[in-house]
Amino acid sequence: MGVPKVLLGGLTALIAAGALPAQHLPVVEKTLSNGMRLVMVERREQPTIAFGWMAQVGSANERPGITGLAHLFEHMMFKGTKTLGTRDAKRDGELNDLQDKVQAGIREEMTVLREQQRRGGIPDMMDPKARTPRLQKLLDEYDALVKEQRALIVKDEMDQIYTQAGATGINASTSQDRTFYIVSLPSNKLELWMWIEADRIGHPVFREFYSERNVILEERRQTLESRPGGLVNEAFNAMTWMAHPYSWEVIGWPSDIAQVTREQANEFFATYYAPNNLTAVLVGDFDPVKAAALAERYFGRIPANPKGVPQVITLEPPQPAEQRMIADVETTPSIQVDFKAVPAVHQDGPALQALGGILGGAQMFAGRPGGGGGRPPTGRLHKALVLEKKVATNASASFRGQKYGGLFALRATPAQGRTPEELEPLLYAEVEKIAKEGVTEDELQRFKNATQVGLYTRLESNTGIRETLAQALAVGTVQDFQEAPKRIQAVTREDVQRVAKQYLVRDSRNVLITHRKGIQKLEGK
Amino acid sequence: MSTRVATALVLGSGLLLAQAIPPRPENLTFAPVVFKTPLAKELKSKLKNGISVYFAPNGLEGTPLVRITVGWRGGGYLDPKGKEGLAQLFGSQLVQGGNAKLEPAKLEDRLEAMAATLTASCGDTSGGISLQVVDKDFDAGLELLMQSLESPAFSQDRLDLAKRQARQALSRRNDAVTSIASYQFNFLLFGQNHFASADPTTASLDGITREDLKAFHARLYHPANLVVSVSGAFDKKAMLEKLNRSLGTLKPGPEAKASPKIPAPDFPRAPGIYLTAKDAPQAMVNWAVPGLRRSDPDWHAAYVMNQLLGGPGFTSRLMKTIRSNEGLTYGVYTSLGAGAHWQGDVVGRMQTKNRSVAYALRLALAEMQKLKDAPAPEDELRVIKEGIIESFPSQWSGRQAIASRFAEEAIQGWTEDWWADFREKIQAVTAADVQRMAKKYLALDKLVILAVGKASEIEAGDSDHPGAFKDVAKLPFLALPLRDPQTMLPIK
Repeated sequence: MGVPKVLLGGLTALIAAGALPAQHLPVVEKTLSNGMRLVMVERREQPTIAFGWMAQVGSANERPGITGLAHLFEHMMFKGTKTLGTRDAKRDGELNDLQDKVQAGIREEMTVLREQQRRGGIPDMMDPKARTPRLQKLLDEYDALVKEQRALIVKDEMDQIYTQAGATGINASTSQDRTFYIVSLPSNKLELWMWIEADRIGHPVFREFYSERNVILEERRQTLESRPGGLVNEAFNAMTWMAHPYSWEVIGWPSDIAQVTREQANEFFATYYAPNNLTAVLVGDFDPVKAAALAERYFGRIPANPKGVPQVITLEPPQPAEQRMIADVETTPSIQVDFKAVPAVHQDGPALQALGGILGGAQMFAGRPGGGGGRPPTGRLHKALVLEKKVATNASASFRGQKYGGLFALRATPAQGRTPEELEPLLYAEVEKIAKEGVTEDELQRFKNATQVGLYTRLESNTGIRETLAQALAVGTVQDFQEAPKRIQAVTREDVQRVAKQYLVRDSRNVLITHRKGIQKLEGK
Repeated sequence: MSTRVATALVLGSGLLLAQAIPPRPENLTFAPVVFKTPLAKELKSKLKNGISVYFAPNGLEGTPLVRITVGWRGGGYLDPKGKEGLAQLFGSQLVQGGNAKLEPAKLEDRLEAMAATLTASCGDTSGGISLQVVDKDFDAGLELLMQSLESPAFSQDRLDLAKRQARQALSRRNDAVTSIASYQFNFLLFGQNHFASADPTTASLDGITREDLKAFHARLYHPANLVVSVSGAFDKKAMLEKLNRSLGTLKPGPEAKASPKIPAPDFPRAPGIYLTAKDAPQAMVNWAVPGLRRSDPDWHAAYVMNQLLGGPGFTSRLMKTIRSNEGLTYGVYTSLGAGAHWQGDVVGRMQTKNRSVAYALRLALAEMQKLKDAPAPEDELRVIKEGIIESFPSQWSGRQAIASRFAEEAIQGWTEDWWADFREKIQAVTAADVQRMAKKYLALDKLVILAVGKASEIEAGDSDHPGAFKDVAKLPFLALPLRDPQTMLPIK
């Protein structure tokens, strides 16, 4: 480690001796009569409440052809209900039906174009120039229906009601494992939240369904395709997961986003948005007993899905051989090594987290104080590759556990004049050192303390608590959340050494090496 | 109400189903929430040498952490010509470069042993050094902070590393439409000779030495430049004593100076439609018109006008038209710059596929024109105003946020009581005010429009909504070349 331990003996010994105490959080759990779960934390300091509800569904519940559908809901759930979002519910419904009919015709034409593309007759079926005359006619008909409907729509009414009520952070997000709908409101608006959310879970109307697909294609361009290396990362992830649905991005493949139907959406909603697959998280200034009663009144009447939710069956098989991808991208060269590891709640999760902290730097877990700038990680990789050998400008490690699987990642950026290929064996050498010699008690305790401090920083605000709870609930239970600090404290040096040996092996690694595309001289000296 | 709900809970769901849910959310009634605007003077104390400290000790809830930031006025605007990037390096190296008592690795080791974080950074006009530490280790942590603040060593080894990292960051400047748009737009708004557009180059980084960093420090480290905020698990009286014993004893050194006034750009903007070619699937579009300063009597009405036009969320006119109706973008927003040091701007931004740029921009400019042509309907105005007023308490969430907001505003030089009547002033804004603000500030002939993306597709526009990019406004059209990421000179 290059630091004479003797010099700081006194202080280090003192800290290492005492673990930091976990913070007690009064979490109240309640299950409604239809199976919907409530998880509540009362905090009275500020007159606000951070709300969220989670559908336990994400891109892992999709299949080829409907990739991106879970994320589509994140958009559609803001389009209104039978009550909100229209001036004339009857005509609105008729127009939705008419749009579906025209879209069915459009799909027939798209089938023709897909066949032409398959045979090489046209390069891109999505290009306006490729449209058939019938397709153009149908698109025009569809536009006319949209215009008629637009005159009846009360634009984003749900958002307006929330905004007027003083909402902040109205949002939703989708991961591979869950979809989460959030908002923060003044504490007197508890019942408003119940009203709006029960209405959109119980009686949603997916208005503007087809045009919203275009917004998502723009989102895909913005968040993935325009990002340097974005498309390569998508391809690398697809290579890494050979069987499991984690192989596609949450936003989905462009072909599927463009063609998804309202019928598919309805079926998906009926299956995954039933209350027995939903969990609400409330943090802030309210009485949990009253909130539970109110929730029963509002959400309790939404019927459960007696069939339950289909399980994600496909297990990622053990990877039989190392996989590599070498790509030219329009950014700084880099190396990324993803080892297949375990799900977040697996009993080896905490030890893998410790390994990540020790290799990558415990500071990564300590959170950022307000107003401060970046601070490099101080893990073994940084010390060896960046500070001592000076061959990299950045080197890190981390374990990311999800619901059904996890990856342990090593990453590094070569210094100017160095190549990613040079860094690769150096990364493995640091792993090997731990596999052979283990880690020190001091390193492990520092990781544990930094993790506890990181947890303090996340549990300081209503929204921070909501997000931390939700992260745990997406992959496990309230018990997993409560016991996380204890499980981290229980990790031993032997555990860390064992998981390094067990998971960071050649056959289970996926290596992405990128070089800068085009003019090499732009890299400078 | 509470008795009834509690009883219902006991009796079970049969009775609950019988209870009526109001047919619309407007039928619900809400008890008022009382929120008193925090006032800076309630948090502020002064150290013996005049440094202001904003205290926010834990209230009902909190963790055992203490956070302290010593912020300063001073930054990139002080960089000598040819040494662009100096303030930025100063910020990162203040801690990372170690200090007179501890070399970098030892300092990092000390911090790690306490699970503490000590970081520093410096921007264009201000910066700060921040410590986060568990309360039992606060004294030791404060000592490390003071050592770095008083006697930074700027280790050559770490400076070299920071320069390597900075050079690499320069090399990425032309990789994404967003980063290209960011530097191009600064040149268009502030010209070549103002710090707002003065980015580091390979040559300027090469020229920066340890002596430059030391000189920067010697000039900056003056009580008149410093403002402190501290929040978390501590007793205010004891903390004030500790700070008086440490930072409160600071006397300006021979080189120290109160940082000079921040210069406003002196640059005649050239309104126009600018295009930078970059092969990408989606274009970045920015536009700006001159705005005002937060101290202007027009501010609150202009603020409402901007929220209505392009404020956050889905309720703004631009989002409704360009995203929700037309599906042309993931997000479109305008922001009203507070203008801490000179007149702010109304800045719009969106990303859209190359061929949609012209059409989406025409829609955006039409929405700006509509605000000038007709007063906003009362319903729409009410949603916007109540939204601002009702969400006001959550703008102050967290005691740390309150303390650091006051400290930052003090560094920027805003008056202290500015927020006290914010809600009343928003409430007083009328539809006529909003229209007046639109007429006054949304001057379409002063627009600077920039698109960065695939030029041929942007210029041609969308066959479904014909119209060329150069025709989106009656302004000159100019192609703006990319700049060399190393030298920031235009590429011929």
